[in-house]
Amino acid sequence: MSGQTSIRSSRLGRMAAFAGTGARVGINYLKHYGQRSIGSAPDENSLHERNAEAVYKTFSELKGGPLKLAQMLSIDQNLLPAAYAGQFAKAQYSAPPLSYPLVARTFRREMGKAPLEIFDSFSEAAAHGASIGQVHKATKDGRTYAVKVQYPGVAESLRSDLRIVKPVALQIIGFRERDVEGYFREVESRLLEETDYILELQRSMELSRASAHLEGVTFPRYFPEFSCRRILTMDWVDGLTLDRFAKSAASREERDRVGQALWDFYDFQIHTLRLFHADPHPGNFLVRDGGVVVLDFGCTKKIEPEFYRRHFRFLDERLLEDRAALEEALVDLEIVLPDDPEKFRSRLREFCTASISILARPFRDGHFDFSDPAFMRSIYDLGEQNRRDESLRSLRGQRGSPDSIYVNRAYFGLYSLLSVIGARVKTRLPEWMRD
Amino acid sequence: MENREKILVGFRDHIARHGHPPASVFAFCEPLGVSERDFYTEFGSIESLESAFWEDLFTKTLAAVQSGAEWEGFGARQRMLAFLYAFLEKSLDVRTVLLFRFRNLSPLSTPEWLRGMERRFKEWAAELVSAGSSSGEIAERGRLAGLYPTAMYLLLRLVIDFHVKDTSARYERSDAFVEKSVNLAFDLLRTQAIDSAFDLLRFLVPRGRHQT
Repeated sequence: MSGQTSIRSSRLGRMAAFAGTGARVGINYLKHYGQRSIGSAPDENSLHERNAEAVYKTFSELKGGPLKLAQMLSIDQNLLPAAYAGQFAKAQYSAPPLSYPLVARTFRREMGKAPLEIFDSFSEAAAHGASIGQVHKATKDGRTYAVKVQYPGVAESLRSDLRIVKPVALQIIGFRERDVEGYFREVESRLLEETDYILELQRSMELSRASAHLEGVTFPRYFPEFSCRRILTMDWVDGLTLDRFAKSAASREERDRVGQALWDFYDFQIHTLRLFHADPHPGNFLVRDGGVVVLDFGCTKKIEPEFYRRHFRFLDERLLEDRAALEEALVDLEIVLPDDPEKFRSRLREFCTASISILARPFRDGHFDFSDPAFMRSIYDLGEQNRRDESLRSLRGQRGSPDSIYVNRAYFGLYSLLSVIGARVKTRLPEWMRD
Repeated sequence: MENREKILVGFRDHIARHGHPPASVFAFCEPLGVSERDFYTEFGSIESLESAFWEDLFTKTLAAVQSGAEWEGFGARQRMLAFLYAFLEKSLDVRTVLLFRFRNLSPLSTPEWLRGMERRFKEWAAELVSAGSSSGEIAERGRLAGLYPTAMYLLLRLVIDFHVKDTSARYERSDAFVEKSVNLAFDLLRTQAIDSAFDLLRFLVPRGRHQT
């Protein structure tokens, strides 16, 4: 049957959906403990999986905010048990399409012309979803285009979506609201930016121009004349998405080359441009002719010099040996707050030392083998340990700068992409740290 | 014909300006420079004039979508969607009139002045249903199918009702409402959901004394 959507429009409808999830999660817990009392002990993982399924089902019914948030959570795997993450990651690929008449309507309203008045051909069905929109394939004068059309009303409903998803997300992650207020504001402003295709067009052109010299990385061309606030047109690119490439029979050398291109791309953006593609999701990269094609600059983040200095000090492992300097750096980054008692301070120092030494590990020897599963495992374990640590969870106040969300997300995302591919890459510390 | 067009435009302006239909044919015709005789050649009364006005909006909208390049390839669901989007678009030209006449009107009411549009819409919907059931897009179910055009007319009225209350930018929420409600309607028509609902209702409604 033809494509259809079910973006729930009313606030009430969305609330109802979330109430539904709450109930389902509760029921799964009951089943879990019921089973346990009878004697057949299902492991924790199967419970997480069922709950993730329930939460995911709700997320996928609600486009816009929750879907994006689900994707984001799947990248910040240090925050979530692996089972949730796996379910959330599916979100990218399962948004149901809009009807063609609505796509045509959007075209008429935004561009003043029907799709076929602009293009020679235009696919009635969406080629794939794009979380707050969908992509159609079009041709004109022998050139093939990918035309991204945004769901109507998404920008309007994002804010209230987030307000509704917040308590659910907090419950899953297990944080108190006022402690993560700043984080949610940061996420909200990035999400709202994503609904602005004009901004995305500018950023896409800017970043692809600035990164054009990088080896193994290419970008589709963008077409301002066929774009507006709800429609974004670029070259159609054929290729394998990164997760398909990972599962393919690609050789080690090919994997290394793709991995290196990704590493160099992020390294250049974060440490040189200080403006980066903040959505390192496997669906946003295609592998073609041995290189990487970068798609979707909807989510980009700028790094201010002050934040850069405070944040990337932690790449320097000498910091770990110098207790006073570490303490100072943690206070500087507001991870340790001035009136924290010593037992919290030492716990935080411990935790930060552990995470820094893991996260900085790829930089240490100038090359790193991401195909080693022990590395990702240690990141997950650290996240899980952190999540369960009562003393860390009882910390009051917001910890760390909201600016760090997307930087961390980019690095975690990059690391997990590289380990999925199984690449060996040459890593270098940023220039200012080499001596 | 020229007079007809002139009277229709005059009617639109009158409602937009005053918020209600003219009190008499004379009061309406005089400022237009049309004689009463000319008026009565075209329309029998103010009500039939208004009926023609809305019927006209329907026919013009339908003609516009039917001339679109994609129309022939559309199924029943897509045709309904395309029509409703075009109707929303077209109604922007007469939004003031739409607001005055529909803002306080229940979607269930059937005022005299909407009879023309209602009849034409239902005729078209009946064609849509019969095409849809021969293609399998709509489930065949005998006499019940006679109610489909009425149900679709109700859908149109609900869309108008939503639209006149919509305050979102560029009425994007109206678009979303059309998308969702048409999908729901056609999902119901495609399955046996309606039959099952009727069956349940028949079962629940008391059927007479002999049962108790």
